[in-house]
Amino acid sequence: MSTLEVSNLNDGTTTVATTYITNGSAKAWVNFNGTGTVAIRESHNTSSITDDGAGVYSPVFASNLANADYAISGTAMFSTSVNAHFVSHGNNSGAGGTLPTSSGFKIRTLYVTTSANAQDCTIVGLSINGDLA
Amino acid sequence: MTHGHLWDRLAEAKTRLKPVQSKYRVLFEDPATPDEPAKVLVPDPNWMACALEGGILPPIETYQRDRDVPDGEPKEHPYAEPIGAMTEEEAIEYLVQKDIDPSVWRDYKGNRTIMKIVPVELIPSDRSFRNAWRIMQ
Repeated sequence: MSTLEVSNLNDGTTTVATTYITNGSAKAWVNFNGTGTVAIRESHNTSSITDDGAGVYSPVFASNLANADYAISGTAMFSTSVNAHFVSHGNNSGAGGTLPTSSGFKIRTLYVTTSANAQDCTIVGLSINGDLA
Repeated sequence: MTHGHLWDRLAEAKTRLKPVQSKYRVLFEDPATPDEPAKVLVPDPNWMACALEGGILPPIETYQRDRDVPDGEPKEHPYAEPIGAMTEEEAIEYLVQKDIDPSVWRDYKGNRTIMKIVPVELIPSDRSFRNAWRIMQ
């Protein structure tokens, strides 16, 4: 593997620092099927997910992040006819969230009704921005 | 020749290795939360491809030592010398030690079986009673 060392990138009109790329790119992402036989479809920098129970999952990074202060964005789809699901920090009890760590985090996929109940989803997508260890 | 950062090696490997869906799952219960259902660890296909290929993943001991390193301090595993190819069974054992808390696979002294490595077809695909799953004794 060869290394190109540059401080800035220029497309002919605009110059940006390479840190825009390194800081702005996702450091981990995963798309998985959270129902039936749970399986990861695609990913980067994920070593596993743990199916913790109905609608509760814990992805683990292959290369850890520097700390737990990263940002998680995610979407969840139950079916093509229902569009009222979202992703939250969570745990099995539903009584609160579980703090993320530099090696991974726990989420719940929730169905928005009068109360938000954890529910397995067919497509769960998660993306993590932060600093690598 | 430097082996670079683990994240870069994973990114490079993704461009040339075909993902490998493992034929195994790890079923376990957390002794700290005995009322919770059994959990199922699902290996990542890209990670499994790296494990089987060799020359990408660091020694498992580096992750274990890094558990004691505070956030923000330099970690050992991203820059450690990569290890060679593993069999799928060895990769699952590596993953157990990396992604499951030692209280499950190392420290538990009770009588219940709280962890099993099982073929994926033994995990029920019907999740109607998912929150009642326990490891059969």
